[in-house]
Amino acid sequence: MSEQLKFVQLEMMVVALGLIVLIADLVMPPSKRRLIGHLSAVALGLIFLFSLRDSYVGLINESTDLFFNSRYKIDGLAIFFKRFFILAAIFVLIFAVDFADRIRSGISEYYAFIIFALAGMMFAASANDFSMLFVSIELITVTFYILVSYQRHRLQSLEAGVKYLILGAVSSAFMIYGIALVFGEAGSLKFEDINAKQSELLGSKVFLFGMLFLFAGLAFKISAFPFQVWAPDVYQGAPTPTTAFLSLGSKAAGFVLLIRLLVFTIPDLTREWTVLLIGISAVTILYGNLCALPQRNLKRLLAYSGIANAGYLLMGIVAQSEDGTAAILYYLAGYLFALMTVFLIINLITKEGEGEDISCLENLNKRSPFLAAAMTLAAISLAGIPPLAGFFGKFLLIKSVAVEAFGNTGYFVLLAVAVFGVVISIYYYFGIVRAIFWNHKADDKTPIFVVVPIRFALICCFAGMLYLGLLPNKPMKWVESAAVSLIKTTAE
Amino acid sequence: METILFNLFAALAVLSALLVVVNPLSRNPVTSAMFLVTTMISISGLFVLLNAYFLAAVQILVYAGAVMVLFLFVIMLLDVEETARRKLRVVSLTMGLLSVAALFGVYKSSLETTYEKDLGSFEIDGFRSEHFESVSSIGEKESFVTVGSTQALGQELFSSVNGFILPFEIVSILLLVAMIGVILLSKKELK
Repeated sequence: MSEQLKFVQLEMMVVALGLIVLIADLVMPPSKRRLIGHLSAVALGLIFLFSLRDSYVGLINESTDLFFNSRYKIDGLAIFFKRFFILAAIFVLIFAVDFADRIRSGISEYYAFIIFALAGMMFAASANDFSMLFVSIELITVTFYILVSYQRHRLQSLEAGVKYLILGAVSSAFMIYGIALVFGEAGSLKFEDINAKQSELLGSKVFLFGMLFLFAGLAFKISAFPFQVWAPDVYQGAPTPTTAFLSLGSKAAGFVLLIRLLVFTIPDLTREWTVLLIGISAVTILYGNLCALPQRNLKRLLAYSGIANAGYLLMGIVAQSEDGTAAILYYLAGYLFALMTVFLIINLITKEGEGEDISCLENLNKRSPFLAAAMTLAAISLAGIPPLAGFFGKFLLIKSVAVEAFGNTGYFVLLAVAVFGVVISIYYYFGIVRAIFWNHKADDKTPIFVVVPIRFALICCFAGMLYLGLLPNKPMKWVESAAVSLIKTTAE
Repeated sequence: METILFNLFAALAVLSALLVVVNPLSRNPVTSAMFLVTTMISISGLFVLLNAYFLAAVQILVYAGAVMVLFLFVIMLLDVEETARRKLRVVSLTMGLLSVAALFGVYKSSLETTYEKDLGSFEIDGFRSEHFESVSSIGEKESFVTVGSTQALGQELFSSVNGFILPFEIVSILLLVAMIGVILLSKKELK
C-alpha cells in the first residue's frame, strides 16, 4: 500500500492543496482572499516543477507501469497530460483571482473547485480501468456543474449550469450503461483484460453496443458532433475562467481517455470503426466552423471554434498511429496557450453585464498595443497560420492522417474537409483581427491597465505560442516520447 | 429451518408491502411508513439467509433508519392528511394489470432460458457435468463465505493489491465537492 503511494504523489499534493485552500478561507481575513488564489497558483507551479524532477519521471522506468490493481497507469502519456492540466490550472487560477470581483460569493471555494477538478483530470490521465475512468470523469463533471453556475446573480450562468447538469447527467448515464454492457461481456473492468480479449469481443454485438455508448459519453465531454449542442450556451453563460478551464481541461481529459481506450485498448475495434470516426471528425469540423461564421459573441464564437478543434483533434485518433497521438499532444499544447490568451483578453476588455460582443475589441490597438498584439497572435495561432503553434499542430494532425491515407478513400474526404475547415476558420479568426485594427466606430480610447499576474500569464502564453511554432524540434521530441511509450506498451 | 425462516420473511415482506399501499384499516400515511419499515426489516432477514450479512446490516441502517426518518420527516413536515378513497378507474386498472403481466412474462421467460441453458450444458457431457458439480459445490460454499461477508467487502473496497481503493478514495473527494457545491449554490444570501 504505502509503497504504491509514491505513484499518486502529484495527485495527493493537488488534493491536499485543495483542502488547505478550503481551510485557509476560514482563518484568513476576507481582505486577504486574493492572496489565497495567488498562493495556490504558486503552489501549483511548485507541483509542476516537482513533476519535472527525475525522481518523478523515473517512475516510468519501474518494472511495471500499472498500480493499484492495474487500475492506475503511469507512462509518458499520463505524465504529459498531468503537466498539461497543472499548467492550465495555474493560468485559470491567476485568471480567477482577477475575476474574483464578479463572482461575489465564495471565491476561495472557487479556487478549491478548480484545484479539485484538476485532481480529477490528473486521475483521468492515469485511468486504466473503467471504474477509474468513470469516477475521475464524474469528479471533473460534478465540479464543473458547480463552477458553471457559480455567478448565481446572473441568470445566464444559472441557465448554463442547468443545461450542463441535465445534458451531463444524460451523457453520464450513457457512459455507465455502456460500461455495464462492456463489463457484462468482457467480465472485467480493466483495460488490460479487454485488450487481451479484444479479438473475441469484437464478435459480440453487446460489446460493440456498450463501446458505442461509452464513446457517446466521452464524445459529450469533447463536444464532438452530435453531442455538441450544450457547448455554445454553456461556454457563453459560464464565468469566463470556468469557460477557459472547461474548454481546455475537460476537453483534454476526454481526449486522454479516448486515446487510452480507442488507440491503446481496442485498436482492432477502432480500425473497424474508421468510417464512423472519420464521419464524426469531418462533420464536427464542418459544423463548428460553419456555425462560428455568423457569431458576434466572442465566447460563443470560441465555443464553436472549440467544437471544430475537437474535430481536428479526432483526426489524430482516426490516424491510429504514434504520429497521430503525438500530433494530438502537440496540438493541445499550442491550443492551451492560444485559447488562454484569448479568454484572458476577453475578460480584460469586457465589463460585467455587457455582452462579450466582438465590437468591444475595437480600438484595442490604441487602448493597449500589448493586448492587441497578443490577441492577434492568438487568433493567428488558432487559425493555423505559420509560424505559430497552431499551424504546427494542424500540420501534424493532417500529416498523420495523410500518411495513412493510401488504402482508404475515406481519409481523403477527411483531409479535404479539414483543409476546407481551416480556410473557413481563417475568415472568422480574422474577423477578430479586423475588429482590433480596422473598425473604429467606438470612441472608447481609455487605456487598459493590466495587473502584473495577468501580464505574466499573457507573456507566458505569448512565449509558449512562439516557442511551439518557431522551434518545434524539442517539443516534438517530448510529445513523440510521450506517444512512443504508449505504443510500446501496446506491443508488449 | 432455513426454509421456514425464508417463508416467514418472504410472507412478511409481501404482506407488509401490501399493507403499505392497500391498508383496509387505516389511511394514515404514517401507518404506511411504519409498514414500510417492516418490509425493509424482513428483506434484510432474507439477506441474512443469503449470507449477505453486510448488506443486511446496511439495509437496516440505511433504509429502515435514515431513509425512513427522511420519509417520516417529509410526511410530518408537509402535514399530509388522510386522503379520501379514490375511485379505481378502469383504464388505469387495466393498464396497471397489463404492465404487471408483461413484466411477469419477461421474468418468466428469462428464468426459463437461464434454466434451460444450465441443464443443456450438463446433459452434453456427462463427465464434465459431474466435474462441474463437484467443483461448483465446493466453490459455492467458499464463495458464500467470501462474497457476502463484511471482510470480503472490505478487502474488495480497500485492498490496494486486488481492490478498488483508488476509485473509492476519489469518490470521497467527489462527495466532498458535491457537498460544498450544494451549500454554496443554495446559500440564502450572497456574501
